[in-house]
Amino acid sequence: MKISTFTAIRGLVLLFAATFTAPLTAAAAEIFKDTDPTASLVSSPPIEKYSDPATVSHRIEQLRQANSSLVRVQKMAVTPGGRELLMIEIGSKGTSVPAVLVGANMSGLNPLATEAALELASRIVRDAELNAGLTWYIVPMGNPDAYARYFTKPLWSDPGNARPFNDDTDDQTDEDGYNDLDGNGIITQMRAKAHDGIWIPVDGEPRLMRKADASKGEKGIYKLYTEGIDDDGDGQYNEDVPGGTNVNVNFPHLFKNFGRRSGLYPGSEPESAALLKFAFAHPEIAMVLSFGQTNYLLSPPQGGRKGSVDTENIRVPREIGTAMGIDVSRSYTMAEIIEIVQPMMPPGMQADESMIASFLGLGAVVNPLPEDMTFYNEISSDYKEYLKKKGATAERFDPAQPDDGAFEMWAYYHLGLPVFTMDFWGLPKPKEEKKEGSGITSESLGKMTSEEFVALGEEKIAAFLKESNSPAQFTAQSLIKMVQGGQMKPAQMAEMMKKMPPKKSDEKKGDPKETAQLAFSDTWLNGSGFTPWKSYSHPTLGEVEIGGFTPFRDNTPPESMVDSLLDLQLPYVSELVKRLPKLAIADVKTTEKGGGVYQVEAWVTNEGFLSFPIAMGKRNKAPAPAIMTLEGDGIDILSGKKRTPVGEIGGMKSVRYVWLVRSPKKSALTLRLESKQAGNDSEKINIGG
Amino acid sequence: MTIAVAALAVTLLQAQEIKVPLRFDYYYSCEKMAEAMKALNRAYPELTTLDEVGRSEEGRIIWALTINNKKTGEPLSKPGVYVDGNIHGNEIQAGEVCLYLANRLLTNYGKIPEITEVVDRNIFYIIPVVNVDGRAHFFDDPNTPSTNRTIRIPVDDDRDGLLDEDGPEDIDGDGSITNMRIRDTLGRLRSDPADPRLMISVKPGEKGEWTRLGQEGIDNDGDGQVNEDAEGYVDGNRNWGFNWQPPYVQRGAGNYPFEGTGIKAIAGWMLARPNIILVFAFHNNGGMYLRGPSFKAAGELPQGDIAVYDYIGKNMEKIVPGYQYLITWKDLYSTYGDFTDFTNNLVGSYSLVGELYQPETETYDGTLKRKEEERSQSGAASEGERQRLLFDDNVNQGELFKEWKAFRHPLYGDVEIGGWTKMSSRLPHPFMLQDLVHRNASSVIFAARQTPKIKMDVFEVKKLGGDLWSVRVRLVNGGAIPSVTYETIQNKLYPIDKLSVAGRNAKVVSGGVLTDAWMNMVSYKEFRPEVQMCQVPGFGKVEYQFLVSGKGDIEIKYESRKAGTISKTVALK
Repeated sequence: MKISTFTAIRGLVLLFAATFTAPLTAAAAEIFKDTDPTASLVSSPPIEKYSDPATVSHRIEQLRQANSSLVRVQKMAVTPGGRELLMIEIGSKGTSVPAVLVGANMSGLNPLATEAALELASRIVRDAELNAGLTWYIVPMGNPDAYARYFTKPLWSDPGNARPFNDDTDDQTDEDGYNDLDGNGIITQMRAKAHDGIWIPVDGEPRLMRKADASKGEKGIYKLYTEGIDDDGDGQYNEDVPGGTNVNVNFPHLFKNFGRRSGLYPGSEPESAALLKFAFAHPEIAMVLSFGQTNYLLSPPQGGRKGSVDTENIRVPREIGTAMGIDVSRSYTMAEIIEIVQPMMPPGMQADESMIASFLGLGAVVNPLPEDMTFYNEISSDYKEYLKKKGATAERFDPAQPDDGAFEMWAYYHLGLPVFTMDFWGLPKPKEEKKEGSGITSESLGKMTSEEFVALGEEKIAAFLKESNSPAQFTAQSLIKMVQGGQMKPAQMAEMMKKMPPKKSDEKKGDPKETAQLAFSDTWLNGSGFTPWKSYSHPTLGEVEIGGFTPFRDNTPPESMVDSLLDLQLPYVSELVKRLPKLAIADVKTTEKGGGVYQVEAWVTNEGFLSFPIAMGKRNKAPAPAIMTLEGDGIDILSGKKRTPVGEIGGMKSVRYVWLVRSPKKSALTLRLESKQAGNDSEKINIGG
Repeated sequence: MTIAVAALAVTLLQAQEIKVPLRFDYYYSCEKMAEAMKALNRAYPELTTLDEVGRSEEGRIIWALTINNKKTGEPLSKPGVYVDGNIHGNEIQAGEVCLYLANRLLTNYGKIPEITEVVDRNIFYIIPVVNVDGRAHFFDDPNTPSTNRTIRIPVDDDRDGLLDEDGPEDIDGDGSITNMRIRDTLGRLRSDPADPRLMISVKPGEKGEWTRLGQEGIDNDGDGQVNEDAEGYVDGNRNWGFNWQPPYVQRGAGNYPFEGTGIKAIAGWMLARPNIILVFAFHNNGGMYLRGPSFKAAGELPQGDIAVYDYIGKNMEKIVPGYQYLITWKDLYSTYGDFTDFTNNLVGSYSLVGELYQPETETYDGTLKRKEEERSQSGAASEGERQRLLFDDNVNQGELFKEWKAFRHPLYGDVEIGGWTKMSSRLPHPFMLQDLVHRNASSVIFAARQTPKIKMDVFEVKKLGGDLWSVRVRLVNGGAIPSVTYETIQNKLYPIDKLSVAGRNAKVVSGGVLTDAWMNMVSYKEFRPEVQMCQVPGFGKVEYQFLVSGKGDIEIKYESRKAGTISKTVALK
C-alpha cells in the first residue's frame, strides 16, 4: 500500500506526460517523461521566445495578409498604456452563421495562452471544417499592458494594465515599485531575520519557507518581503507598484468593489468595455472559449458560493406571498410557483423561471446551474479520455478556478453561453515516496459501487479517513453502515472528501505547489526558476537574503514545449465546437380537419449535444431567441402564432409545434426556423385545393 | 377635452420667449429647457458656463450649467454640488427644479447674503435633463404619465426576435395615451355609483359591466398581444456601475454598466470633477427624500454618514412639508445600478434622491392633504380617487382627465377610451409648480450651505529647547458635511485629505494626531511624519502636533479633494 498525496493536491489531475503518440520535439518529449527529479539535469532550454505585444500584432497582420479573404482584424480598443487590443475575425459568412468568441491572456500573466490563440487562428484558417460554418472572433492578447511586462527587465509579474493606481491611497501614485537589488534581472523575494518573523525554512528543503507553528513550539525566524526598497519612506516595501486594473477581474459577474486590481467599476477599462460591447452586439456568438489560468476541461466550474438560490427550495417573501394568497411559512419549488403564478398572468403571457426569479428578487445566479454541470462533467470525462488516448496520463496540479469578475465567469453567467477554458500547461506533480497507505483516492472512491466500498473492509477505510483528514465523527464503521443502509453513496462521499481542507501535517513540508515548482526548476530549467538565497545589505532592513522563484515559471513552460503542448490540446477545440446546438425542422405534417381547416405540425430537433440555450441562458434570457415563422398566402392562423419563439430544446431532443390554419384555397406554407446561434432551416408544404 | 388641450397649448405658446428671470408657471419642453439654460448663461457670463456633457442615443445634447464665481476660486478648489433631474424621461418637473435652482441662485446673487455666500463658497453643477430623449418624446408624442421613462436602447421585451414592435398608440388621435375598456356583463368591474368615471370590482353575485383592456393601442405585430413590446426598456437609473446587476435580476439594467451613451458621458464628466461632495437627483413622485443604500445586501452606511444624512434629511422634511426622509431599500424597494449608489460609493459624495410631487395634495374636501391616498387592493374606488377627479373637475376645470368616449377598435370592436392624461398623476398642475420648485430648490440650498467649510488655526508654536519646536494645528469644519465621507474612508476610494508641514531650514521630527491637548497625548505617525492623511468631521475639528527641528518659516498646508486648499506660513521664532 502507498500513501497518496491527494489530500494535499485534491481531485484528479493529469499531466500530459509519459509517451506521446504524436511526434514531439526532443526537449518536449523529454519533459513529458515521468522523470526522477534526482536524475542528471538536462540543459536548460531557451524560454524567452514568446511573442511580445509588438510581435503578436505583427503575426496577426501577417495572418490577415496571407488570408485576406478569410481574415479581418479589428482594433477594439487602445489600452491605458497606448497598446492596441486586437481581434482576429475568421470566416467568410460573417454574422449569418454561429460564432465562437475566444479570449486569451486576459490577465496578461499567461504567455502560453496568447501563443495558443495565435496558433488556433492559423489552424482555423487552414481547416475548412472550422472556418466554413462558423465565424471566429479571437482576442489573442486580452491585457496587452500587463503582458508587456513579461518582456521587460527586471522580470516581475502584475496583472494590472497601465492605468495609474494609488494602491496605498497615500499622496503619491505608483511610487514604490520593486527594485532589482541583486541585479539578476528578476524580482524575487527578500527574507530578513526579525523578532516578529513568522517564517522558517522547510525541513529538508531550506530554500523553501513555511509558517512556524507556535502551537508545536516553533518560533518564526524570518519576515518575507518582495525584492525592493522603501522608495517613498513610508515603512512599507513595494506597496504601490505600477499597475492599474486586471482586465480579467473587471467583468461584471461577481465584480469585487474596491479590490486592489478590480478597477473602479465593471467595464471601467477600455479592454473589458470593448468586449462587453462587442459580445452584446454579436448575438451569433454561441460559444465562448477562454485561454488563460483556468481549465474547465480538467476542472469544471465549481459551485459552493453562498447566495445562490436553490430553485427547489424557495421562500416567498411575506408581502409577495400574502398578495398571492399562499402560505409563506413553507418553501416552494420553482415549478410550484410557476403553477401558482400562471393564472395571475395577463392573457398570452407565460410565467417562466426567469420572470419568477426576478419577481421574487431571488438575485443573481452565483453557482453553475446543475443542468449545465451535466454537460461540463460529460465533456470533461471525454477530454480526459482524449488525453489518455494521446498518451498524456501523468499528473499535474489542478488548474485554478476563475477569479470573481473574470472573463469566463461573465461569459457564462451574463451571456448565458457554454464556456470552456484551457490553460494548456500546469506544474507536474512531483513523485512522492511510496509509503504504505489505503490505496484509496477520492477519485477511485467516486467510481466504486456501494458493494465495492463495503468490501474494502474497516481497516482500509479507516486508513483512508485518516489520510483524508476526515472529521472524527466519521468512523469506518459508521460509514460502512450508512453505505449499507443506502443513506450515502461512495460517489457522494468522494464529493465531500474533495471539499475537505488539506491535511495540516503537509504544511510542515512546505507548500506542495512550491515544492513542485522547485522540482520543476531543478529538473527542467537547470535551476533557473529559482534564485538561491544570497545575503545582501539592505538600506533599511539591514542584512537580508535575496532569492526565490522566478515570476511566470509556475504557469509558463519553456518555449521548446509550446508546440507539442498545443499540438496535443488545440485539436480538442474542434471537438468542442462539434457540441454546439444545431436546430433543424425534422418533420412537417398536415392533417385536414374539414372545412378548409388544417393542423400543421412541425418537429424541431436539436441535432447538437448542447441544449439550446443552456440552463443559464434559459435563466438570464440573454441568448437571442430562436423563432419559428409560419407564412402562406391567404391563410388564417386559427391557433398558434405567426412568429413562435422556440423555447428550450435539449441536446439530441425534439419539440413539437402545432398550428391550426384555415386555407380555403390551395396554398404553399413556408415554415422558417431562424436562430442566430443554432442555425436556420426552412420547409415548404402545400395545403388546400 | 379639446378645450383642455388648447389651454395647454396656450401655456406653451406663452413660453416661447424666454427671459431671465425665468418663469415657472409652465413646463419647458426639451428644446426650451436648453434655451432657458442658454439664456441664464448669456445673462450671467461671469458666473456660469454651459457644457455639452455628451449625447443621448438619439444624438440630443445633454447640457450642464456650471455656476462658479471665478473671483472666489478655481472650480476644483471648492466643494462641488451636483444636481440633476429627469433621468426618467416622464419625470419632467425634476428638470424644472434644477432650472429653478439655477435661476434662484443667479438672479439673487449679490442680493440675498445667504445665496451670495452659498454661490461664492461652492460650485454648482446642474444637469436639469439627463434623459433628453425621454423628455423630448414625452412632450412631442402621445404618452401616458409613465411612458418614455427609459433611455432609447431597444429591448426585445416579448422575445420574439423583433425590437420594440408593439407599443401603445394614440388610436383616437387625441394626443394622449389613456385606457381602453369594453362593456362586458361577465367582466369583473362595474361603474362606481359615486362617480361613473371610476370602476370598482364586482362583489360575488353582482353583475359586471366592464373589462379593462389596458393602455390604448393595437396588436401591431399580430401576435395576439397588445402593447407587449414598447419602446425601451433600459432604465437610466439602473445602468450605473456600482452594484449593477444584469437584467434578469434588475429589470431595465441594460446589458452592462454604462451601456447608455448619455449615462456613460455623465459618469465620466462627474469623475473628472472629484470635488463633488453633494449630489441631488430629482425624480417623481411621492414626496420623499431618499438616501442609500439602494439594496439590503449593501449593509448600513457608516454611522458618521448617517448622522450627516439625518441632519440634512430632517431639515428638508420641514422645508417641504409632507415630504418624508427615507432609506431607499428599507422604505421602498431594492434596486441595483442606481445613480446615487454610484455617486455615494464611487464619487464619494453625500447623495440624495428627491421624489417630487405628492398626489395627495389634490384634494376636494377643504383640506390640503387627502386622508385616503391609495386605491385599495380590492379594487374599490377610494375616497382619494373620487376627490382627485373632483379636484380636476373644479380646480383644473377638467383639464387632465379625459372622459370615457366610444371608439371602434380594430380588434376589440366597440370600446371606450378615457382616463388620466400624460400631464396628470405624477406632475403637479403648473399652478402648483412654483411651490414645488421653490421648496425643493431650498432643500438643495440648505444642504449646499452644509458643505465642508474648513478653517486652519495654528494654535501653538512653542520652543521645546535647542532648535526643536512644537507646532499645533487645528482644522475646524463649520459645515455639517465632513471633508471626506466616512464611506470613502472605509472603502479606501481615494487618498483622503493631506496635512503637510515643510520648511527650507526645518525638518519634521515627529508628528501625529493630538488626541488630547491638555494631557499632551499624541498618536504619532512613525514614517513620513511631515505628511498626515486626515478628515475633518462635520461641525467638528481635528488637531495635529508636529515636532519640528530647525528655524525660519514653515508652510503648513491642508489639501482636500472636496474641501479646497488652505496654506499658512508660520515662523519658528
